[in-house]
Amino acid sequence: MQDQLESLILEAEQEIEKCSAPNDILNVRAKYLGKKSVLNGLYGRMRELSKEERPAFGGLLNSARVKIEAFLESRSEAIKQAAWKKDSSGFDYTLPGVSLSRGGLHPLSIVRRQIDEVFMSMGFEIAEADEIEDEFHNFDALNTPKDHPSRNLADTFYVEGGKLLRTQTSTVQIRVMEKYKPPIKIISPGRCYRNDKPDPSHSPVFTQVEALVVDKGISMIDLQDTLQSFARIMFGTKVKSRIRPHFFPFTEPSAEMDISCVACDGQGCRVCKQSGWLEMGGAGMVDPAVFDTLGIDSEIYTGFAFGLGVERIAMLKYNIPDMRILFENDLRMLRQFRGEL
Amino acid sequence: MKIALSWLKQYLDIDSGVQELSQLLTFAGIEVEGIEEIPALGKTVIAAEVVSAERVPKTDHLRLCMVNIGDMPYDEKDENNLIPVICGAPNCRAGIKAVLALPGTSLKDFKIKKAKIRGIVSHGMLCSEKELGISDSHGGIIELEPDVKIGTLADEIYGLPDVSFELEITPDRSDLLGYKGIARDLSAKLLLKTKEPAIPALPKPAGTLKIGLTNLEPKLCPRYTLRIIEGVKIAPSPQWLQNTLLKSGLRPINNVVDITNYVMFESGHPLHAFDYDKLATKEDNQSHPDIIVRLAEPKEEFIALDGKKYILDGDELLIADGKSPSALAGVMGGQGSSITDETVNIALESAAFEPGSVRKTSYKHKLSTDSSYRFERHLSAEYAVSISDRATALILEIAGGKLAGELLDSYPQPEEPVVLGVRPSRFELLIGYEMDESRMKDILASLNFSYVAKGGFEHGNRHGIDILPAQDERDAALYFKIPGFRKDVTREVDILEELSRLDGYDKVPQPEDRQEIMDRHAYKINNAASDWLVAHGAFETLNYSFVDPSRMRCLGYEDEPDFIRLINPQSANQSVMRTSLIPQLLTNLAYNLNHSERDIRLFELGRIYLKQDGSHKEPKRLAAVFTGSAGEMHFAKKAGEIDYYWVKGCFEGWLNQLGLNYGVSPAEHPYLTEGESFAYEIDGVELGYFGRVLPPVLEAWDIDVQILKQEVWVLEYNVENIAEISRKISRVYQDIPRYPAVMRDLSILVPLEVSYQKVRDYILETDRSLIQSVSPFDEYRSEQIPQGFRSLSLHIVLQDQEKTLTDERIDTLMVLVQKVLKEKLNVSMR
Ligand SMILES: [Zn+2]
Repeated sequence: MQDQLESLILEAEQEIEKCSAPNDILNVRAKYLGKKSVLNGLYGRMRELSKEERPAFGGLLNSARVKIEAFLESRSEAIKQAAWKKDSSGFDYTLPGVSLSRGGLHPLSIVRRQIDEVFMSMGFEIAEADEIEDEFHNFDALNTPKDHPSRNLADTFYVEGGKLLRTQTSTVQIRVMEKYKPPIKIISPGRCYRNDKPDPSHSPVFTQVEALVVDKGISMIDLQDTLQSFARIMFGTKVKSRIRPHFFPFTEPSAEMDISCVACDGQGCRVCKQSGWLEMGGAGMVDPAVFDTLGIDSEIYTGFAFGLGVERIAMLKYNIPDMRILFENDLRMLRQFRGEL
Repeated sequence: MKIALSWLKQYLDIDSGVQELSQLLTFAGIEVEGIEEIPALGKTVIAAEVVSAERVPKTDHLRLCMVNIGDMPYDEKDENNLIPVICGAPNCRAGIKAVLALPGTSLKDFKIKKAKIRGIVSHGMLCSEKELGISDSHGGIIELEPDVKIGTLADEIYGLPDVSFELEITPDRSDLLGYKGIARDLSAKLLLKTKEPAIPALPKPAGTLKIGLTNLEPKLCPRYTLRIIEGVKIAPSPQWLQNTLLKSGLRPINNVVDITNYVMFESGHPLHAFDYDKLATKEDNQSHPDIIVRLAEPKEEFIALDGKKYILDGDELLIADGKSPSALAGVMGGQGSSITDETVNIALESAAFEPGSVRKTSYKHKLSTDSSYRFERHLSAEYAVSISDRATALILEIAGGKLAGELLDSYPQPEEPVVLGVRPSRFELLIGYEMDESRMKDILASLNFSYVAKGGFEHGNRHGIDILPAQDERDAALYFKIPGFRKDVTREVDILEELSRLDGYDKVPQPEDRQEIMDRHAYKINNAASDWLVAHGAFETLNYSFVDPSRMRCLGYEDEPDFIRLINPQSANQSVMRTSLIPQLLTNLAYNLNHSERDIRLFELGRIYLKQDGSHKEPKRLAAVFTGSAGEMHFAKKAGEIDYYWVKGCFEGWLNQLGLNYGVSPAEHPYLTEGESFAYEIDGVELGYFGRVLPPVLEAWDIDVQILKQEVWVLEYNVENIAEISRKISRVYQDIPRYPAVMRDLSILVPLEVSYQKVRDYILETDRSLIQSVSPFDEYRSEQIPQGFRSLSLHIVLQDQEKTLTDERIDTLMVLVQKVLKEKLNVSMR
């Protein structure tokens, strides 16, 4: 009897091993443990045994049942796992994934958006106006003398009808001050034009961002503060900024703004011509004459303005050696800025 | 906290209307969470006497009462002024005085009429407090005091009409947890004087009883006072006292307890009265009981007024008698020593407890009471005696009795006065406008801040420290002694807040209306347009604003546009301002093709420059050019080529996302192929176009179409028009459908001249409310299909907002759809 049981267990084990689907398990279970199974039949034969033999035999039958149950259980689990485990032999995981083919913004747009964001977070609004301007808004209102050399054909593009292509976005400031009352807190990003031949550091078309703040109690502290915040957010917290005396017709006092060289941390290098400082643009307190022209009471209101060159910032930030690269629109350049924030 | 206007008026002469008062409170920083008006009951609701109350036969609870209405005119009363009234209240019985609402009375919820009940006519109703609207209690009808005169109007008895306010008191303002505090803040707001209740001088002690007082925890109980009143007569409170409590949401109990509650509501400071005779002595042979302020023993048991047994941990502060706890200090009294009808002698406690200890005990045993609520918020020890005096005077007046012995007062460490300076210059700096010194003094005087002196400013409490002269105007400060009940005022800035709050935040200058210089919507639309193209794999280019004029003819225009010409161009091919972005994009395309690029997607967002009426304009446009693969190169998944469907999807996708409902027509640009190029507009306003560039045009840019073997597509968005049109669109949330959507497929034979759009529109029109969407999943043309037809397969999504769709309903609808398509478009099923 015991031998018969052991061979039955062995037979069941082998058959269970061959199961490959949940259905196979059900069939095998019915065959070995079901009502018509050999094992079940053996239970029926218990009464043929003497009272003394019965417990031992019953124990054997139960242990056979338990063993077969265990085989079924472990095979069933294996089948379940096989269903979701992938055979990874021969799979080359180094082959590339499928990429969503995003494009990218032009580096000048990237920098423009960065600048917009910095200033908008400081409560500035963005103002725009036409690029084709009259002399009043580009020169006169900005206190530029009638015979100033910047008005020459050699410096400024003129179009038919006596208008010109604005040489700075300060024109937007004038137009905003004509239309709105202080307090005013704007930046005016946009294209400007100067009659320069394209070379590594010049372009007849370039992008400027000017900032203008007019309110009661605006002082050079506010100028310094805004400039410093801008430089730190744009170039990192280590960057220092400074202003030094200069001349612009529409600001008084006027200043040139510098930031510490981002290439050498102000130690002196080729980029900053060993000075440790990089010129960022012009700045100053709005000249009372500008306010007077626009009918803003310069006794009540003061303001500051400054202008930044977007190309120059982009070139510094991304180490672009030649301004002309920015206008070639070569995909091999554009692709390098894919994903830049 | 609930306060009644009638009670508040005892401390302040306010004649403001309800809404006005609510505004005043709100802007004093006391938020009004609810206003409940208790209307007058009128001349038909009166005090009446139940002369007899006989059970109505065959009912359990109804009684026929003969009610005496005295001189009250009423047609149907008998010669003894009696009228029959049926009443179902269990406490209705002969001999009581009750409130009767005669027929014709309008109560809050119903109108009283003569009614026939079980064949008996009832002339009115005996009312409960709830029915009259004076409390939430409907435990039977009101039983008035026996001495109320029959015929007295209920309005007179209850002081109606009245208004109650539900106030939210911020946790820092313990001083506002009483009527006097509210009145004080209002007085500062209105610059009125508050009215202090007159406390008569207390008589000399004439009693003989004594009590011992031991304070073992002066840290947790900075002050404990105790006073014995002998021979009081416990009885219901007089009507006025009951009324005030009722209207503040408190249930009257008996005169002594009611008085302690009354004084707590008046002053914000809780009191407790013990039954003197229930207090145990410490030693058995001692002649007088003891009160001991001590910590609980671990596992010590306490049965509170609520009848529950509390097992104490050992860190609760107790007021114990000589043997066992008599109260959880500041939280709840004990049952054993509570005031009952049998009480004759009382011990009155007025104390101050450390807030943290009260909070901990209250939290631990989940016992929050009017008392703990107040002590948790830090009450001053300074007023314990005056509050005790106020309650004592009221008890002597109302409950009688005499004082026994002097007040016992354990106050080992009197609170130190606080003197703080406030600089007018600082007010201007922080609040933003000037307030003159006299105004400051007026406001603070109303808050009981007493002016001390003027001098140089120093931070911190200056009590007992010399105030030096100010060095200049900026340094000059006014010094005030802060009243003890303002535990929240500890620094100059706290005083500044009081000044600003009570002067009114509306005094803070409002900035002028902000002008909007920036067009934020247009800014976002421009960025979104660029981002959309970037998401479709395009790179942004930037080109000069001036171009070669001959390029426009290369695009197929017969004449050059009316360019804005430069007077001093740098070269002939940069001599005019651009009127289109397309030529330069084609130049960028050619450039990159020449540099071995094949899959190219480029766009530019920039201005074009147009002459207009002798002047000019510079609108912005976004244009793009596409050629090559429609996806990234991948070895395992082949991407298709950029074609009509790709460009159409890209172009329309953004407009769809913006929610624009556009019309489509063939694009009329000479550089685009016919039949594949379409322009989009809304009410004649151009949104843009897309289309395939004609091969001869490309040749003008030296792009050899034979070699390229790719289609070149362009699109252009008029971003300014899109910004204008999308400005008005606002999104409104739609409820998510609660019932499942069902999809049905339809395979149809469509005549070649019938467009998909026509088919779709007819299907949608069949039932707009049920058919949510139609989308094609197959188009098929072959010889098996009848000549002049093509096969289209569509997914149709159906959904009902109201219920789950049944198969029957769907089938009926699908039959209808088929019928409509057959009749209107000669479309049949496959
Ligand atoms: Zn450097």
